[in-house]
Amino acid sequence: MQREVKDRNILDKFCEEFCAIVEKHCKYIVVSGFLAIASGRTRGTEDIDMIIERLDFDKFKLLFQDLTQKGFVCMQSSDAEEVYSYLKDNISVRFTRKDKELPEMEVKFVKDILDEYQLKTRVKLELTGLDVWFSNVNVNIAFKEELLKSSKDLEDARHLRIVYAEQVDEKEIQSVKQLIQRFRL
Amino acid sequence: MREGHIEQVERWALFVKENPTKWKKIHTDFIDALFEKHDSFREKLLQMPNGKEKLQKLYNIKNKEGYNWLK
Repeated sequence: MQREVKDRNILDKFCEEFCAIVEKHCKYIVVSGFLAIASGRTRGTEDIDMIIERLDFDKFKLLFQDLTQKGFVCMQSSDAEEVYSYLKDNISVRFTRKDKELPEMEVKFVKDILDEYQLKTRVKLELTGLDVWFSNVNVNIAFKEELLKSSKDLEDARHLRIVYAEQVDEKEIQSVKQLIQRFRL
Repeated sequence: MREGHIEQVERWALFVKENPTKWKKIHTDFIDALFEKHDSFREKLLQMPNGKEKLQKLYNIKNKEGYNWLK
């Protein structure tokens, strides 16, 4: 079901514009809170979390220039080399529209087998009406129930379990939870 | 998980699932209202003494070049 543009909220528009640029340069996924919010969960957020494949500096520079030319700004620095050094050390970097402190896109490089698995099994979710690659629903449920575990995250997981009931795969959730135990806890 | 609140989360999730053409408008109004509220807060804060510095600190902005209101 493709939604009309007028249905887009501020977060949707920001996310779609940012993702359309990133898509031209590398594989990416949007993960965690915004997946739940784009799927109808009624709660606020100031940032959207994105994981991108690891790029060498030359490729990253092109992405950075493209983002800058299209009106996005990195909150840490305007220097591509400095921003790349954070990403390379697995530190996330935050982008906003020029002159606006909100919303933010928090971007990081793939860092382990779990991130690679998410990138490999990425999906577009019809319910969201957005042309955006998300990490798959089962992985998100596993992260929220096994690693993050705040009230907000457990409620996100409950929401996802209901709205995507047909896609929920307990076997996959369990195997991702085992990977989380092994690599993140 | 917050007792009681989870029932509300479940009721809304069921509404989303069962009303694929109705939930989005309600949801969009809710999300946009949060950002509109932020914008009015931001305008007020920027008029207060040290408002710029407070906003910069709140959002941990290191790159002043990207934000004209910080210059």
